[in-house]
Amino acid sequence: MSEKSAGDRGKKKRPTMNRRQFVQTVVAAGIAGTILSFLSLLMSLLPSAGAGEEQGEVNNVFTYGPEKGAWYSDKSGNEVLLEDFDQVGKGAGVLWRGRIPAIVIRVDESKLRGATATNGLIAFASTCTHLCCIATWRLDRPSEDVLFCRCHDGVFDAYNVVKDVMPDGTEYLGAKVVAGPPPRAAPIIPIEVKDGKVSGVPDNLELYGYCG
Amino acid sequence: MKVLSTRMKRLYDWIDKRYNISPLIAEAQRSINFALPSTLTRQNRSRIFWLGYPYYYAGAITLFLAILQGITGLLLAFHYVPSAVGDPGAPTQAYLSVQYIMKSVPLGALIRGVHQWGANLLVAALAIHAFWAFFRSPYRIGREISWVLGVALLGLALVYSFSGYLLPWDQLGYWAATISVQIMRAIPIFGDSIAQTLLGGTALSPVTLTRMYFYHVSLLAVVAVVLVGAHLALVVFQGVSEPEEAWKTSVNRDTQTGRQEGPLFGPFIPHQIAPVVIISLVTLGIVLLLGAFAVQVPGDPANKFLTPQFIAPEWYFLWAYGLLKWVGWVYDLARFVPPATVFGVDLVSAKVVGILIAGAMFIVLLLMPVIDRGTEVRTLRRPLKTTIVVWAIGFLSTLTLYALNEILSSMLSIPIGTMNMALGLIVIVVPLLAAAPVYMILRRNATKSASQEA
Repeated sequence: MSEKSAGDRGKKKRPTMNRRQFVQTVVAAGIAGTILSFLSLLMSLLPSAGAGEEQGEVNNVFTYGPEKGAWYSDKSGNEVLLEDFDQVGKGAGVLWRGRIPAIVIRVDESKLRGATATNGLIAFASTCTHLCCIATWRLDRPSEDVLFCRCHDGVFDAYNVVKDVMPDGTEYLGAKVVAGPPPRAAPIIPIEVKDGKVSGVPDNLELYGYCG
Repeated sequence: MKVLSTRMKRLYDWIDKRYNISPLIAEAQRSINFALPSTLTRQNRSRIFWLGYPYYYAGAITLFLAILQGITGLLLAFHYVPSAVGDPGAPTQAYLSVQYIMKSVPLGALIRGVHQWGANLLVAALAIHAFWAFFRSPYRIGREISWVLGVALLGLALVYSFSGYLLPWDQLGYWAATISVQIMRAIPIFGDSIAQTLLGGTALSPVTLTRMYFYHVSLLAVVAVVLVGAHLALVVFQGVSEPEEAWKTSVNRDTQTGRQEGPLFGPFIPHQIAPVVIISLVTLGIVLLLGAFAVQVPGDPANKFLTPQFIAPEWYFLWAYGLLKWVGWVYDLARFVPPATVFGVDLVSAKVVGILIAGAMFIVLLLMPVIDRGTEVRTLRRPLKTTIVVWAIGFLSTLTLYALNEILSSMLSIPIGTMNMALGLIVIVVPLLAAAPVYMILRRNATKSASQEA
């Protein structure tokens, strides 16, 4: 033993491998590689490109939502008209571009903080920033000026518009969270009124995609 | 009868001559008899082990119900159509096919009722089985793998029922699933990728239904068969866990590996299998009655633009629902406003804390064999462990109560704020009140018996 190590001195000892071990290693690596490469097929589980995109021409006019027991229930699906909002506090659950749930409210402009109303109206996206249920206006809390989400009792103050930040860093204005678990304000939707029809301005559509 | 048994014998001989199955069958009989409890206890006189220990039935009932779910599920799969394509609020193929099952398929309503109640009772039986095992610490007597498989099966049962709840594509299922998906998305860093890979998107869509259906009828079924098979095979290898009072008095046991051998009760067939068959038939009777007279019809078709007035998950998920609400209540009470992100990740908002607590509970259960080491398994000799289990039961029950805050508030006409305060305090106080005396009594007993032994 000592003779051998004396002879090897100065040379770097190299790991040796006989032919059998070499074949075993190569075969094992080949099988492992094949199995690993099959994992790439899991890519097919990811959403396909282009899925869920809007198709065709999209109308920006709000349409009345499907809530039961509200004053606009029998108008469900119709376009939202300015003349329907004849008194302060009247508001409706609506749909924007056929996919974004929102709430349009006639507000007392002297009490509104942080934003200005358009023809007395203001609109917020009504998808709750907490877990994506749809908040309502005065269906559950008829006497209060709040957007209320039934799922986890989230409350947004429609008269108190504040600046907030989305997880991706986008700054926006929205109705302040005053109670419950929502982490962020309900984003405002800019409004314009043409020919008596109320529509949203699609300046920053990505903002409303926070629920996928 | 004689003719039949002669025929059977001839059939058996015919097979045996060709495939030589006799040794296999003899070995199987030997193993199963070997698996029975061997210790002498006060129940030995009856020769039927189960009579003295009814909680041993929970596992058997769970297995029976799982088989029943398989059979009824198979029958439902002949008629159900997993398609959710359609306008929001309009009935989809999935919704219509469930209605078709309820109204037109002969015995369809009964089959669906049995499937629905079977799922509920299965989770209940499984919960009893699991909590009892949690008290007993089987991982301390060489049953670590059984325990881990059991925890995995518990998770599997919950995923199973979650995927099934969505299939009718009605409002209740849709919104319960929406909330669960959004909670899943709240998992720090990986949330969105998990949701996209498992559900085909970050929000519910027809794609999600296709995947849920595949999981429910195919993928999970394969996983279930493998896990249940392994869980049962280990019982045959190691023997049925013996009653606690017999533990350590048994001379025929290796306390390291948990293997046992020795005098048997009556043989497996018929002595031990008979009570299992009887209890299974009783369970079947209960499920049939419930399925026939208390079947829940689907609500309105799912509408992604309209959250229904009352939404609630199934009763066995209420604790998680309550946990989310309760963490929010604690934040409100402490006037704590969670920062948007910590190191760029949302870590402290109520929903993330909720999901982290629930996830941690599951991981702790899985890791119990590593965390809780030692050889003492007697419940009364382990003050801290037993106290923690009692506290956990209290915590889960009171969270379940908290989840019902709105319903309770409108039922008892108490303002929601007051109700939340009362329930929030109950969640903190009641589990502690239940656990504290347990700890004190057991602690005193432990010191007493320790000094006696000394």
